[in-house]
Amino acid sequence: MVEETFILEGKGLRKEFGSLVAVADVDIRVRAGELHAIIGPNGAGKTTLFNLLSGNLRPTGGTVWFKGRDITAEPLHRRVHLGIGRSFQITNIFPSLTVLENVRLAAQALGGDSFKFWWHFRRFAQYTETALTAIAQVGLSDKLAVPAAVLPHGDQRKLELAILLASDAELLLLDEPTAGMATEQVPPLMETIRAIQRGTGKTIMLVEHNMNVVMTSSDRITVMHLGAVLAEGTPAEIARNETVQQAYLGELYGDFAGIIGGAST
Amino acid sequence: MHSYFAHLSPQHRRSWLLVVAYVAVLLTISLADFGANTAGQTMFRGVLLGMLIFLVASGLSLIFGLLDVLNFAQGAFLLIGAYVGYDVYLRVDGSADVRFLAAIISGVVFVALIGAIMEMGLIRPLYARPVFQLVLTFGLGAIFLDLVERYYGADPKQPLAPPSLLNSNFSLFGQSLSYYRLFIIVLGIVMMIGVFLLLNRTRIGIIIRAGVQDPEMVQALGINVWRVFTLVFVLGAGLAALGGIALIPYQGATLGMGNQFLILAIVVIVIGGMGSFEGTAIASIIVGLTRAVAEQLSLAHFNAPVLAETSVLLLMIAVLLVQPNGLFGRGE
Amino acid sequence: MVERFVFARIQRIPDSTLRGLAERLARLVLENWFFALVFVLLWRFPYIVADLSGSQVKPSRPTGDSAFWQSEMARALTLACLAMSYNLLFGFSGIVSFGHALFFGAGGYVTFILMGHYDAGLQHKALVLVLLVALGLALFSRLRARALVVVTLSGVLLALLLLPAEGAISFWQAAAVALLLSLIVSLTSGVVTLRVRGIYFAMFTLALAEVFWVLAKSGTFRSYTGAEDGLAFRSLLPPALNVTPTADGSRLTMYHWTVVFFAIIFLAIRRYMSSPVGRVMLAIRDNEERAQTIGYHTLFYKVLTMVFAGAIATLSGLLFMIWATDKIVHPDTLSLAYTVDPLLNTLIGGVGTLTGPVIATLGLHLGETYLRNETFTLGTRVFGLLAVWQIIALAIAGALVGVFRHSLTRLGERLIGAGPRTPRYERLMLAYRGGVFVTLAAVLLLIGGQLRGEAEAVYNVADLWDLFLGALFVVVVMVLPHGIVGTWNRLWATRRLRRLERQMRQEREAAGASKP
Repeated sequence: MVEETFILEGKGLRKEFGSLVAVADVDIRVRAGELHAIIGPNGAGKTTLFNLLSGNLRPTGGTVWFKGRDITAEPLHRRVHLGIGRSFQITNIFPSLTVLENVRLAAQALGGDSFKFWWHFRRFAQYTETALTAIAQVGLSDKLAVPAAVLPHGDQRKLELAILLASDAELLLLDEPTAGMATEQVPPLMETIRAIQRGTGKTIMLVEHNMNVVMTSSDRITVMHLGAVLAEGTPAEIARNETVQQAYLGELYGDFAGIIGGAST
Repeated sequence: MHSYFAHLSPQHRRSWLLVVAYVAVLLTISLADFGANTAGQTMFRGVLLGMLIFLVASGLSLIFGLLDVLNFAQGAFLLIGAYVGYDVYLRVDGSADVRFLAAIISGVVFVALIGAIMEMGLIRPLYARPVFQLVLTFGLGAIFLDLVERYYGADPKQPLAPPSLLNSNFSLFGQSLSYYRLFIIVLGIVMMIGVFLLLNRTRIGIIIRAGVQDPEMVQALGINVWRVFTLVFVLGAGLAALGGIALIPYQGATLGMGNQFLILAIVVIVIGGMGSFEGTAIASIIVGLTRAVAEQLSLAHFNAPVLAETSVLLLMIAVLLVQPNGLFGRGE
Repeated sequence: MVERFVFARIQRIPDSTLRGLAERLARLVLENWFFALVFVLLWRFPYIVADLSGSQVKPSRPTGDSAFWQSEMARALTLACLAMSYNLLFGFSGIVSFGHALFFGAGGYVTFILMGHYDAGLQHKALVLVLLVALGLALFSRLRARALVVVTLSGVLLALLLLPAEGAISFWQAAAVALLLSLIVSLTSGVVTLRVRGIYFAMFTLALAEVFWVLAKSGTFRSYTGAEDGLAFRSLLPPALNVTPTADGSRLTMYHWTVVFFAIIFLAIRRYMSSPVGRVMLAIRDNEERAQTIGYHTLFYKVLTMVFAGAIATLSGLLFMIWATDKIVHPDTLSLAYTVDPLLNTLIGGVGTLTGPVIATLGLHLGETYLRNETFTLGTRVFGLLAVWQIIALAIAGALVGVFRHSLTRLGERLIGAGPRTPRYERLMLAYRGGVFVTLAAVLLLIGGQLRGEAEAVYNVADLWDLFLGALFVVVVMVLPHGIVGTWNRLWATRRLRRLERQMRQEREAAGASKP
């Protein structure tokens, strides 16, 4: 068997909040170049797992590996420099700064000029260039000078994506990129994400609440339930998986039942 | 009490050990250095000071715990309480007992009223802007100080006679001490127990504790959180005022006392952990003892009060470095 | 118009390099015409005062309006620098420090203690002590900020080089050491405390400054600090800096140097905020966690800003004391007063604006100086318009409407009906608010008119100034959170945005119309 390359690996990840076990000894592996989705109902531990992988939370146990290197102890800002970028479920931008400035800052973070307090920032035009390219990719070019706070919600999600693109990460961690968006806005955004993944060869890992969204556009899906991995596989495998069906069809989660039944919610 | 220790988290258990060890070290130092009698007196003074600090710090801690407001005007509350109490004491006719009682009641009520107005009129509209809240209490503290100076003058006020009942002396550790000092300690303990019972045994206390954990949840249960907020603010202000009045027969009233005790209370809160009542109580006594021992040490060896004035801050820095959330604080 | 004219002239310059140069220069001046104008005005200020009052710019005796206002303006400018440095922390970075006075006072104390008690043998011990403390803090704070330790080390080494091995220390050397010491203190305290919650930082700085204030006042170090009386330094000051108004004009020269100092600080802060670092600071103020997740080591930037602000405060403090008429470093320069003062000026002028703190400081300081000796009764008319009591009544009415604006809105919505923010709603609400204000003011004026006859007491402006500042502070915090300049900027920004929106709508409509 050909050895597969995993860009990101979580080994035995565990996170406890007091007596609550949010993530229980999860092993997860993400292949380079794929679009990998984590799905599961609310409270399944998706976001916590995500925070463990991105470094926003320290795990109680287990390790995180990026490109064969143990990064469990690396602080947030170092991980960005290694090539991991992330977005948040709740919109997490710099509200009083303009769209361009939001993205430009992300580009600037990767260069070595951020500590130069004696030059005007306009001197470093390369970051503006990077930012403009990223903004164009998500389609916000006509709103460069608008403060991020006054953008409509859908555009704010796009802005987050642009911030990630500008930071030139190899691995993008997207926490519910479609959260809070109107239903008709979701497919175009997923298309954008898919296009970025295909066009740049970046690895994308995303958390989704709504299974519909990921069934068509991801390469691989991990289903989480009560802090543990329930199943992992291609969308087709997940759709056939008995455990997933039993867990979701039977009682609890109507929207999952609907998806597996093929109907749209 | 047994169940209390059984339910401690490992971090808090370690903190308890640290506290006991630290107090033991202080005791050993003073015993070795000053001999039994002086050591006893020093410890007594330390506990006394600790109780006074507690009265300011408990309000600060309660208000912070529930409202997430660090009330930098807490020192000014003590100051106003002391000066108003002093004023009333001199104006009222009658025996020292009556005067003292009148001073306590009027001072506490006056400051509680200021606290209520301040919370409802000024603090409440600013919950959405916490930085401004911080700045506002800080600025109000400075304004109150200015007002007190303008109204009562800058000269320090001499200590007044305590109530006749407490005006006699008793002998402890070979020194004659006023019963009033014992009274302050008892007052502190009573307040400690009182607030503890209020927090743990009453309905309002349960709401307050729940509010400290999760204010939104409490609001969702249909409880008027605003009223509880005001109540806690008033309680905190009143406790500080009580501390100020309790100081009058002990050391009079000076303009600097507000900030002096505010700093001590802040140190206490940092050491004890923000929003933790037990932490505040324990840290108050630790800070009081530290200060007393440092005073004694610097008096005996260096003939300079510098060590005493900086000792408490050094303790705070040490705790900040080792345990940024305080000994009994919440968080990771 | 001026712009077009100037650039048309420049286009006629035949030499291309010269043309480019002229273009850049013209753009620089035209873009900053306001600041250039203010600089010129400040520079000419002594002459303007001299012309207006008929006094001399370089009097031979310490009298005359021009000489007096030179030192007042100079003092105000140093205080403005202090306010700007505070704004750098509070406004631009969201760091709330309640111990900024420590840096302000430290400049004078360290410089003059060093000069007065210089002992070449002691310096090494002291520096080694500082070094050990800094190292210890850096090691024990569980922080791997090696760069910061390196900076501290090089600072101490630099101080070692600066201090002469024998003999006396010059003023400039001592001042440089003071600056270095302030850098080290802000660096270490920043590294230790800035990583914890902001509230701990506020408390820590307050306690730290308070302790140094107590130390400065305590009798223990009387021989060094002069305790409560302050540290007299007249004999230590180099003659060039000793601003006695003599015919040779040393005061005027010193005034001009102060203006230059102010301009440099202003430009430095402006550049700092528009540098890559300043941009990151804005991001941190907005959302610190996000700044980390796009790859910034936020602590580094916060400490850097704090060091910068501390250094400015130290220098402006030293300059402030040089301008003191009694040539004494008072312990009060370390007290809360000099933290409250820049905080107040920042708030009133506009948090996070470049010019706000300057405008507020100059306005309030010079205003106080101008009115200090005035007295008034409640019936005195201000500028011949309104009586003082009438102004107070109006201010109270305004403050009440402002403070209770939320309750008022709720009440108003009961009257005119709650609804979306349509123009009609806005108009009605404005009319309602105005009505409430006018009614309130009328009632207060009526009551005041009745009470007025009894209050003929004479007040000193100087006595009531602090009270006025306190009231102003509360009103600004509650009602005008963006301060004067901030509110002004916002009004302009809103207008621009409205215009932009209108333009875009028109364009869209035009595009829609052209489509078949």
